[in-house]
Amino acid sequence: MTRTRAITLNALSLYGVALVLAAAYAAQFMLQELPCPLCLLQRILFAALAVGPILNIRFGPRPSHYAMSLLAAVAGAVASTRQVLLHIMPGDAGYGSALLGYHYYTWALLGFITAIVLLAAILMFDRQFEEDKAVLPATGGAFAQTAVWLVIALTAINVVTTLLECGFGACADNPLVYELLKHAA
Amino acid sequence: MEFTILFLATAIVMLIAWRGQRPLALGLFGAVLIACVATYLHHATDTLKLSF
Repeated sequence: MTRTRAITLNALSLYGVALVLAAAYAAQFMLQELPCPLCLLQRILFAALAVGPILNIRFGPRPSHYAMSLLAAVAGAVASTRQVLLHIMPGDAGYGSALLGYHYYTWALLGFITAIVLLAAILMFDRQFEEDKAVLPATGGAFAQTAVWLVIALTAINVVTTLLECGFGACADNPLVYELLKHAA
Repeated sequence: MEFTILFLATAIVMLIAWRGQRPLALGLFGAVLIACVATYLHHATDTLKLSF
C-alpha cells in the first residue's frame, strides 16, 4: 500500500468516526434518549480514535499515529464491555433502545473491536511508511480536509450538547432532561 | 462536567494535530487518554451484578 493510498484510507476512517458520532446524535435527538456517562465516555473515545488519522493525513503515516488510535480503541472497548456487563443479567432491559437487536453500547464494543482489527491490519503494510514522490498535498486534498473538519465539528458540537445535558455538575447516571435547559424553561 | 471538558480537550487535540505541532498533539493526546481512563475508573465503582 502506497503512502497516498494510506492517507485516503485514513480519510475514510475519519468519515467512519463521523458516521458513528452522527448516528449517536440521531438516537439522542430522534428518540429523545440522552446518553449516560458511560455512553458519553464511549463517544469521547470514538472521537479520540480520529486523532491518529488526522496526524497521518497531515504528517504522513507513522506507526506511532496508529498506536494512538489503537490505545483509544482498547480504552473504548473496555468502557463498552463494562456497560455490556452492567446489563448482562437475564431480564435486564438494557439502557436505551436497541438497534437491530443490539443496544448502542454493544454496537460500540463491536465498533471498537473492528477498529482494533483494522488498525492492526493497516499496520502490516510497510510501504506506506516509506517516502513517496507522488504524495498528496500536505493536508491530503479536499476529501481528507473535509473529513478532518467534519470530525472536529462533530466533536465541538458534542462539547455544547454535553454541557447542556450535564450542566456544571456531575452528569446523572440516568439522564432524562437537559440540565441547563431545565433551568431555562 | 468532566465529560464536557473531555470533549473540549479532544477537540483541542484534533485542532493541534491538524494545525499545530506534532509533539504537542501527541503529549496532549496522552493526557486526554489518561483523563479518560481516570474518569472511567471513577465511574466504575458500581458493583457488577453478573448472572453467573
